Amino acid sequence: MIRIDISKCTGCKRCESACAFFRTGRINNRLARIKVMNLYEIGIDGPVVCNQCQEGYCNCCPEDAITISSLGQVIVSPTRCTLCGACEQACPVGAIEIFNDFVYVCDLCGGRPKCVEACTEGAITYDKEEQEHPSLAIFKKKAKKINPSQKRYSYLKKLGFEVRKNWRKEHD
Amino acid sequence: MIKYGYGGRILRIDLTEQRFRIAPLDSSWIKPVIGGRAANTKRLFEELNPDCDPLEPDNLLIFGIGPLTGSLLTASAYYTVTAKSPLTGILGDSAAGGQFAAEMKLTGFDQIIITGRADSLLYLIVTESGVEFVNCPEYKGKTVLATTDAIRKERKDYSIQVAAIGPAGENLVLFSTVVSSGNRVNGRTGMGAVMGSKNIKAIAVRGSLSLEVADPLAFLSEVKKIEKDILNHEEYQRRYQMGTTRLMEDLNSIGILATRHFQEGVCKYVDRISGQKLASTYKVKNKSCFTCNLHCSRYYVVDDCEAEGPEFETLCSFTSRIGNSDLPFALEMNSYLNQMGLDSISTSEVIGWIIECQEKGLISAEDLDGLSISWGETDKIREVVDMIAFRRGIGDRLANGAKKLSESFGEEAKKLVMQVKGLDIICGDPRGIKAYGLTYAIASRGADHLRAEPYFELTNRREEAKKRFGTEKAADRLAEEGKAALVSYSEKIALLTDSLTMCKNIGLCMDILNFEKASALLKAGAGIDYSPEYLKKIMGDLIDIEFKLNRRFGLKREDNTLPERFQKESFKEGPTKGSTVDIQRMVDEYYKIHKWEE
Repeated sequence: MIRIDISKCTGCKRCESACAFFRTGRINNRLARIKVMNLYEIGIDGPVVCNQCQEGYCNCCPEDAITISSLGQVIVSPTRCTLCGACEQACPVGAIEIFNDFVYVCDLCGGRPKCVEACTEGAITYDKEEQEHPSLAIFKKKAKKINPSQKRYSYLKKLGFEVRKNWRKEHD
Repeated sequence: MIKYGYGGRILRIDLTEQRFRIAPLDSSWIKPVIGGRAANTKRLFEELNPDCDPLEPDNLLIFGIGPLTGSLLTASAYYTVTAKSPLTGILGDSAAGGQFAAEMKLTGFDQIIITGRADSLLYLIVTESGVEFVNCPEYKGKTVLATTDAIRKERKDYSIQVAAIGPAGENLVLFSTVVSSGNRVNGRTGMGAVMGSKNIKAIAVRGSLSLEVADPLAFLSEVKKIEKDILNHEEYQRRYQMGTTRLMEDLNSIGILATRHFQEGVCKYVDRISGQKLASTYKVKNKSCFTCNLHCSRYYVVDDCEAEGPEFETLCSFTSRIGNSDLPFALEMNSYLNQMGLDSISTSEVIGWIIECQEKGLISAEDLDGLSISWGETDKIREVVDMIAFRRGIGDRLANGAKKLSESFGEEAKKLVMQVKGLDIICGDPRGIKAYGLTYAIASRGADHLRAEPYFELTNRREEAKKRFGTEKAADRLAEEGKAALVSYSEKIALLTDSLTMCKNIGLCMDILNFEKASALLKAGAGIDYSPEYLKKIMGDLIDIEFKLNRRFGLKREDNTLPERFQKESFKEGPTKGSTVDIQRMVDEYYKIHKWEE
């Protein structure tokens, strides 16, 4: 799975742009399966991508369009999907989102994620063997009734809180 | 029909009528200007009434990007804001990086042209379908970050990018700025005041169109080459570590670091205010413009203050230039100026000029409502900056800039304003970098280095100098010889960089962009054939247009000069000891190259 260390992220969006470009031939953050947010007011930047969470929240598709594949990645069947939005609503961190009749979620580029190659800062790493999947339960409660952009924002804000504590510690 | 790279549309906004119009971008119009700064200048040249008052509704405010903006090309992240400058009365423009430009690309508008004036304060939401005018009286007085945050929250979309003015722009401070990505500043020539005069608090962009390049594989291969050039560059490490703030030590080591308002070129306490000191003590991480692999920007934390930056000009402007050795104070000012929306160079010039004039007895405290400041007096400087931002008390006069302020004083005091054409000079002392001196003198927006950034003269590449400019002296920082040739070459690369909306640190200072590479990038990116020779020619043509435009604004040949200090006084010590600038000679040569005989 892909791991993110937001303390190393500079907000350049090379991961996001590479994702969109290599998968669609175009650049547009809405076409990316990894989305970078710049939280200017607290100096935090970070990409949000599928965490392959323990809970598997998005795997609640009423049409059975979602399957979890061998690398743990989420695969959406375009023929079964009716764009009902249940998965988008279920994900607590905004890592799965519909745009122009298509569901955007990280599928690990089949095992060689382009975002990892694009990052020059070591903020994104990929470990095929990683078994310890994080729990997103603490983000789930707050994620009701807010859109994916808002979810990504509040998720990063929470992660950023720890990073900021370290900044102060280092500084003192 | 334009298919690749460009959005292919321009957006015209009339604030008075609260109407907008979407027009196709004419391919024959755009080809000879590419985009960005050059396209904005041409638009101003064609559509602006040159006699307009810059703060009246008929001034144009133009936001422009280029064909490769927001692409995979490293640091193709700039946008240029252009208008007639309220500070100088001539061509005004200023570029900024960060994230705004790349999002603007997704709206499909290559240029946003704003005229008129709104009845009350509003912000604009620009999407692919046009503009929404949003009244926001409650935003009055908000900082840039607070404005950005409020708009994103209100719209429930945190990918929105915002270019806003702070209180200084609202109060029409003549050197106020437009700021995006929280701390990315369109700093020079008072574009914030033009925006303020139109009653626009912010322009927010959010698009859902996509950028397509003509030949993705060829484009990718060109991009990879440039990325490699950056990673292998000898300056890569220091730039990554310190960004432009490395110049504190670099300029000091050759005796040209603006110190005590250009009375000295060597700062004895540079170690306490250097880029090195900043990086090792207060920097917490690197920051970056869109898709850049250099990541030369930085975020710092100091006491109660934190922000992105500062760049060299702000750091020097609020340390050695005003005789201050307190680095945390300069960092506090960086954040404060960005949030208020004030240009650090012009703000520093007002302060430095007052201090020097008061020290020399040319201006008294009574002349300035009881204000007296001396070198490094940080508490007072903090207070003065605040008074400027809100035009409070004497701040109201200071807010018109050093040159206008000086007009009510004697000749000696007037001469001490470090400006050309009304724009305050940057922090590199031209006595030790002659090509820069020429650049400050001829720059079409006033005393500034970015119009040519002839960094080559500092590289000591003597053989290359001979090959490129006919004399080894072009790489000798103290020589006047060959500098007109150097500047008239690098001003074209500077304009090319601005028109592609690439970063000048990379394109120009690191000597990475040239006409051949630009030609390949444009072919693969925008699908348009530009031969290197043609690019060179059109850049020359555009510099002629800037010249003509400024002539319409009343600029004369004798305005291309430097303050007397740089021509007549030399330093008594340091590596630039004994040197003055023969500016007339260089300007004459420069005019000859351009065939601009009047």
